[in-house]
Amino acid sequence: MTELIVSQVVNGLVLGFLYVLIAIGLSIIFGMLGIVNFAHGVYFALGAYFALTLRDSLGPWAIVLAPLGVGIVGIVIEMTLMRPLYGKEPLLGLFMTFGIALFIEELIRTIWGAAGHPFNPPALLSGFIVWGPVLVTKYRLFVLVVTVIILVGLWLFLQRTRYGRIIRAGSRDPEMVSMLGINLKRVFTAVFGLGTAVAGIAGVLAAPLWSVVPSMSEAAIMPAFVVVTIGGLGSFGGAVISGLLVGVSVALSIQFWPAASTAVMYALMILILLVRPRGLLGESWERFE
Amino acid sequence: MKTNNKSGFGISRRALLAGAAVGATQVVAPFVITARAAEAIKIGLLLPKSGPYAVQGEIGHNGAQIAIEDFGGKVLDRPIDLIWLDESSPQATQQNMRKLIEEEKVAAVQGGVSSGDVLAIMPVAERAKTLLMASGPNATEITGKNCSKYTFRVDLPNKVTVNSVYPLLKERGKKWYFVVASYAWGIDAYNQMKDVVVKDGGNVVGYDQAPLGTTDFSSYLLKVRQAKPDVVYVGLGGTDLTNFLKQMKEIGLTNQMALSSPIVNDTDLWAAGPDAAFGVYPKIWNYTGAHLAKRGADFAAAYTKKHGQPPEAEGWQDWFAMTSILTAIKETKSTDSAKLVGFLEEHKFEGYKDAPIFFRNFDHQLVQPLLVAQVKEKITDKYDYFDIKSEYPKDASALNAAYGNQAEIGCTFKA
Repeated sequence: MTELIVSQVVNGLVLGFLYVLIAIGLSIIFGMLGIVNFAHGVYFALGAYFALTLRDSLGPWAIVLAPLGVGIVGIVIEMTLMRPLYGKEPLLGLFMTFGIALFIEELIRTIWGAAGHPFNPPALLSGFIVWGPVLVTKYRLFVLVVTVIILVGLWLFLQRTRYGRIIRAGSRDPEMVSMLGINLKRVFTAVFGLGTAVAGIAGVLAAPLWSVVPSMSEAAIMPAFVVVTIGGLGSFGGAVISGLLVGVSVALSIQFWPAASTAVMYALMILILLVRPRGLLGESWERFE
Repeated sequence: MKTNNKSGFGISRRALLAGAAVGATQVVAPFVITARAAEAIKIGLLLPKSGPYAVQGEIGHNGAQIAIEDFGGKVLDRPIDLIWLDESSPQATQQNMRKLIEEEKVAAVQGGVSSGDVLAIMPVAERAKTLLMASGPNATEITGKNCSKYTFRVDLPNKVTVNSVYPLLKERGKKWYFVVASYAWGIDAYNQMKDVVVKDGGNVVGYDQAPLGTTDFSSYLLKVRQAKPDVVYVGLGGTDLTNFLKQMKEIGLTNQMALSSPIVNDTDLWAAGPDAAFGVYPKIWNYTGAHLAKRGADFAAAYTKKHGQPPEAEGWQDWFAMTSILTAIKETKSTDSAKLVGFLEEHKFEGYKDAPIFFRNFDHQLVQPLLVAQVKEKITDKYDYFDIKSEYPKDASALNAAYGNQAEIGCTFKA
């Protein structure tokens, strides 16, 4: 029994990293721009679909180019549809992103069809590693490594670079930052592009694991919201802790009470919000208090 | 006296215009009546537009449209209007069913991929006395203990399909593991197959329910791997089955054990791809192969011509469902559901399968031969995934018995 639990906990941790990866983009966009991006799932789906289209002609380059493409889509959407809503009623942003989500999902259905597309992991990453009771597939290990690299990279970028400081300052006091002569519009566009590109990376990496169908965005968006909410909106560290927590809870519930495995993450969210209404590592934030 | 209208006649301009409009209606009234004679016959369609079964929804819709085109878009000299509303959950489907009946005044409703949704709308059809042609659900009780006078079912009951594949699966061993969707269809699939397995001396080494729409089965597969079963029987469909197959491939379980499910949709395997697809499945229809009858072949050709790819099973189901409704309307010259029900209970549909197929009058189940289909060892075509191993039952004379007799079914219609 202990062996099974150990194996499920490890599997849950690995799954948790996938959840973290899906949630990071959402967290960046909320944390820096204050937008609750309901369209996050469709950027995730676009990543998978772009890779699907590019992989035949570009091979492994598709993995790099697909998220870039998603980032560009994100930038265009930010400049045309999101920008006019900054500083307005937050509800408008919700409606807008919800509308974008429905529109892009329908667009995916129109372009690529409703049917799913096969998407195998690269041959190099197929197979798995067994270590005692623990079994991890090479592909999931790869996803874990990529997630960690992205997390570390983003953290260094936001904490240690001049641009990172501008973004963080801009998220808290946009007026002050503008008065210092910084073009915040451009910064926000870049952040939105970054957040959507990370969603695109998650989509590319999830494609060999999960079904590549237009509704794959639904499968991604709910865990992402749960992870970000539990972790505390906008908190990186929070997203990591909560992603792993959700992964392990889901895995253990599948071991002992599989029918409840979807419900368990919502139960966890309710429980944590009751104790810590801002999530695990959520900070108080003047603009939203 | 102060009035606030400007026309000076004591009535407002708006009222005058409204009056004129009413007058005009009287003048054109004869034309309105002529137009009414050709008023469309509306048929409701409830199939998923999103969620795990979205693909089946789209292909079913395509199939129903081909049936309408087969009739030249008309029945009783009236155009046919197909109204497709979403089938997303039992509650939402029930609301849409009411909308179709009360607001759209449809002559009949067809569809239903999920048994849970169909069980929720059957009482609505019964109360409104409206024909419901359930094209895609498999839970046994729909034409069993929960049967209804106004519901007919095209798809196969789990109780029948489990017997069709069991002989092939039992050759693989006695240890069975079950992973099923945690709602009516999946749970019924477990109960039906478990009964067959246990009665024959096999044993159940694991039984897990998975919420509909589960994306990651890795934790389930660890349990399966640990239990080392000979056969994995999954009550999973749509993207759930695709995910399960992809993740089986990921941890090297593909072809390591036998795999089956109560029914299979081609699209779920097409989406998993040739490397991940495997298993032996009961299949209601295949677009190619020796058992393709003339009418089915014509449908497959029309579908392929229109959509650029062959139809999967759900396409046939909704094509046949619509064909049967329109045939009933045409033959009875009526849209009265009571008359349609009477016709469907008696009619034999010929040329659709190897034997004539028909809805039984005591449970409204479509009695038809089905295929035992095995995924090819080497898949070379994008769509042609199956070798048809046999037809079930092998002999058409055994057809009625294969679906169970009246006493076994336990269906009684409310008067």
